[in-house]
Amino acid sequence: MKKNQIKTRDMLLSALSILGLIAVWFLVSNSKPDFFPTPMATIERLIRLIEKPVMKISILGHVLASLKRVVLALIAAIILGVGIGLFMGWNKKVRAAINPILMALRPIPPIAWIPLIILLFGIGEFPKVLLVFIGAFFPIVMNTMSGVALVEDMYLKVGKIYKANTAQMLRHVVFPAAMPAILAGIKIAISSGWMVVVAAEMLSSKSGLGFLINRGRDSYDVALIMVAMILIGVVGALLSAVFTLIERKLCGWMSKE
Amino acid sequence: MENQEIKVQVNHLTKRFGDLLVLNDISFNIKKGEFVCIVGPTGCGKTTFLNLLTRLIDPTEGEILIDGEPADPKKHSISFVFQEPSAFPWLTAQQNIEYGLRIKKKSSEEIAAQSEKIIGLLGLEKYRNAYPHEMSVSMEQRVVIGRAFALNPDLLLMDEPYGQMDIKMRYYLEDEVIRLWQATGSTVLFITHNLEEATYLAERVLILSNKPANIKANINVDLPRPRKVSDPEFIKIRKEITDMIKWW
Repeated sequence: MKKNQIKTRDMLLSALSILGLIAVWFLVSNSKPDFFPTPMATIERLIRLIEKPVMKISILGHVLASLKRVVLALIAAIILGVGIGLFMGWNKKVRAAINPILMALRPIPPIAWIPLIILLFGIGEFPKVLLVFIGAFFPIVMNTMSGVALVEDMYLKVGKIYKANTAQMLRHVVFPAAMPAILAGIKIAISSGWMVVVAAEMLSSKSGLGFLINRGRDSYDVALIMVAMILIGVVGALLSAVFTLIERKLCGWMSKE
Repeated sequence: MENQEIKVQVNHLTKRFGDLLVLNDISFNIKKGEFVCIVGPTGCGKTTFLNLLTRLIDPTEGEILIDGEPADPKKHSISFVFQEPSAFPWLTAQQNIEYGLRIKKKSSEEIAAQSEKIIGLLGLEKYRNAYPHEMSVSMEQRVVIGRAFALNPDLLLMDEPYGQMDIKMRYYLEDEVIRLWQATGSTVLFITHNLEEATYLAERVLILSNKPANIKANINVDLPRPRKVSDPEFIKIRKEITDMIKWW
């Protein structure tokens, strides 16, 4: 089968599976439309939401509010996660000192931090960003550490032969060699951060997609809940797709086996 | 050749790991711009010998002098080509060739001029933007060799760089390494198990003995280039080296 034919076949299969999901939704919702709105009712609710914003914030405004929190947290998680991961992977002493702390903190779900964070920082913008940061930081730091620790010995030897100093070694050998692992960590962090932001907004917020779900629950507006859920899914998938493009751009040198 | 200045002096080089004597009192000189091949049996301490020359490990006794001064990684530049291709997969052919020059913080004009020269000598103009995963093993190894020559090192060590190539490719690459050596005037120490390759490339062949290794013989290969493997003089020298090895 030719490459183009395989691509068309895969796209058809993807479209079919999405249509299948909508069909199941249609069937299930038709039996109890009051509890579970039909696809048509959900689309109508989306149109109404565009016409009549909640909390005077447009639907795009809610999406952007959630995105802003995720982006801020991701920037911090990438800077700290990659930095700390790089040193942990490079220096065994640093790894021995920091790894036990990470091992103990990593299994704690971000949501478990919510009460403590609210007590310490209240319910403003910072605690939400901090929660997303907690969700995003661990995959980045762990992947960076593993990526650096597993850099092929041959590349390190070449660096040594050319007498690269530590900074040159990290910048020109270790960092690019570990780049695929680092980007894989960031990709996990994006989806994890996106999940956490919705949870954080569901607890206390006046904007964002999580807030819309909460509003839907409080006013028994199930269609609004569905609209927000679908938007969460779509934006999450878009984020992942955009990052895959960035990944291809940055790691175009990887063999496509 | 007799009038050429001495570039590398290896004096009474000895290496012991505990009670195990690996290298025993090795002494030889390499003249500036000379192409020397080293042949020796497997397990004779070749890797230890190379690690000593690159100063990755220290000798038990003896010294290595470059330009009359103790070899110092910070001061002298020693390049190395491994048996396995070692191009960085995230850099293009040209970026790989420029790697050592960038690490040494050469000016951008110098980097451009030197990389153009090497790319021209390797005939890689069309492939300068190719990544290693887009290259064959032999092309990747050529890029690595270009990277090593680009730096104009004080000493270029090559550890069986063509060990993985088939015979046709070897002939082609051997001619190419001679072209690079002649164009750059580098001092080369080339290690190989292939006696024909040693006779084809070297101005001088050093034969290492079994462990504990020392220099068993030092054979001048005073043949014009390009050499012909069917030339009676070539065959005579190759046979001389082969007879030395049969003695093991």
